Amino acid sequence: MRHPLLPGCRIDATRMRTWLDSFEGYRVAVSQGAIERWIEQFDPGHRDMAARILDSVDFINKLRIQAAFRTILQSLPGWSIQENQRLGKWRFVPFSGSSGTSADSMIHLFRMANALTSRQFNKLFIYRRDLLQEDYTENDTIVFIDDFSGTGTQACNSWREFFSEIVPLRPKKVLALVAISIRAQQRITRETELEVWNDIQLRDSDNIFHDECLHFTALDKQITLRYCRRADRSNPRGFGDCGYVVVFPERCPNNSIPVLYMSHQRWRGLFPRHD
Amino acid sequence: MEKNQDMLGAEGIGVKNVPTLELKPNPHNPRMLFDRKPLEILRESIKRVGILVPLTVYRERRTGHLVILDGQRRWICAQNLKLETVPVNEVAEPSLAQNIVTMFQIHKLREDWELMPTALKLEVLMRELKETNAARLVELTGLEEAVVVRCKKLLYYPKGYQDMMLDADPDKRLKADFFIELYSVITDRDLKKMSWFRRDRFIDQMLEKYLIAPKIIKSVTDFRLIKQHMTNARKAGKQHQLSSRLQRFAEKREVPIETLELSEAKVHATASKLVRDVVRIKTAIGQIDVESYYGEGELWDALVELMHLLQQKLREADKRI
Repeated sequence: MRHPLLPGCRIDATRMRTWLDSFEGYRVAVSQGAIERWIEQFDPGHRDMAARILDSVDFINKLRIQAAFRTILQSLPGWSIQENQRLGKWRFVPFSGSSGTSADSMIHLFRMANALTSRQFNKLFIYRRDLLQEDYTENDTIVFIDDFSGTGTQACNSWREFFSEIVPLRPKKVLALVAISIRAQQRITRETELEVWNDIQLRDSDNIFHDECLHFTALDKQITLRYCRRADRSNPRGFGDCGYVVVFPERCPNNSIPVLYMSHQRWRGLFPRHD
Repeated sequence: MEKNQDMLGAEGIGVKNVPTLELKPNPHNPRMLFDRKPLEILRESIKRVGILVPLTVYRERRTGHLVILDGQRRWICAQNLKLETVPVNEVAEPSLAQNIVTMFQIHKLREDWELMPTALKLEVLMRELKETNAARLVELTGLEEAVVVRCKKLLYYPKGYQDMMLDADPDKRLKADFFIELYSVITDRDLKKMSWFRRDRFIDQMLEKYLIAPKIIKSVTDFRLIKQHMTNARKAGKQHQLSSRLQRFAEKREVPIETLELSEAKVHATASKLVRDVVRIKTAIGQIDVESYYGEGELWDALVELMHLLQQKLREADKRI
């Protein structure tokens, strides 16, 4: 979570410019008009707090995603861009893809980040459906690539439902994530055969409703929760009660607070998850 | 088939006790198969009387490891009970195909499993055995014929589409049913001849109509209706008319399925009449007192004939019997 400005700071052109620059690249353009309309959904007395919520949004843009993927791959034991210096066989697989298309933006960013875009590296990047097609040894590594895990539910469920059926037993299996919460990391490690590697780790202090989060007062949290209930009655603190304010360019995770992404008659989120 | 059977025969080497921790799980075993409750029952039984049926294992030539072919549940229980050794029956190392067939036979397909992983294992088997005949695959794997047919339909699709059924995110994951229902449309012999038709582009267009609101394709069974329109057009010799309508339907996101209707009303009326007839016959058959009609051989022959015909038609329509 980013540090919000102090209470009472004006919503001036500089602050607006900062938001617009920060949120550039979201799948649905975030304009000044959209920001103003979003803030106007709060009562006049609560708009300062709404602005501070926007200050605290951690928009992880494509450059940060690439930097994270670079850090992770360089840290993985046995990896080298030089084939003859690599330990065993390496394969990279998207853990989740772009909705409704066969192209994959996350893999593209991963390849860009690690200078793996040239054709000679194509064989390293395989489809999920190809996991069963090769023979692997204990020296080999399969790296699953994704952006975020808030609770670990998706990773564990998909592991139980089908990945465990098609992922070879022998090689080391790595889940490379840009960001993950500590509890998701613990759960995935416990319930799957995946070894989790990440760049950004979300803690209790990143949960806007948690006592550890010191950027907002107890009253702020109470008021925010009221608006979050309007946005999503069933998950007002975000899925898994995570209370995060993290946003990725492709989609705002549902673990973030619903005032950011829910869109319906009673609320218009700034970062809608669906078209 | 003889060749396949030869490939699938495993040669026995003998029963012995080996250290529990020396064994390795089978790489082709479904790892999440083991429900906790039945495992607890098995563990209690092993605790009381030990492992009565030896595990079937093979020594992997490449690594020297003893790998479990059959008995992974017993092995898990033995580990839980901290048994130092387990009885094993060592057999010759199976081929990849033998291994997968054994796994299919031991761990029958669970109904709630996703179909795509099964399709992928079947693909390996078909490649290894050079066997694509559905009936033989049924015999080898113990899967239902309808499951084999559905798996083969999924394997028809390019890899990118297959991956959509294996997405970690349930919001992005597509159900196999979408592709199974679409199959009969995109493999239609008339559609393939239409000059504008490009398979992958057409699949993308159908995905858009299915995924993006307002949904034009509301249910995967809508593809049956599309197929029905195509068949009706063929019967009426109106393929040209249908081609242009189908092109418009595919290329313009908002165009509804109804635009494909040519002689649909007639078929629908016939279908409705058939449903009424079926209800009447069902009631009449239901009222038969078997003992009273026991000697009416002609009736029973007619019913058997009807049953065969129903099974045949249901199979043709890819319905599970």
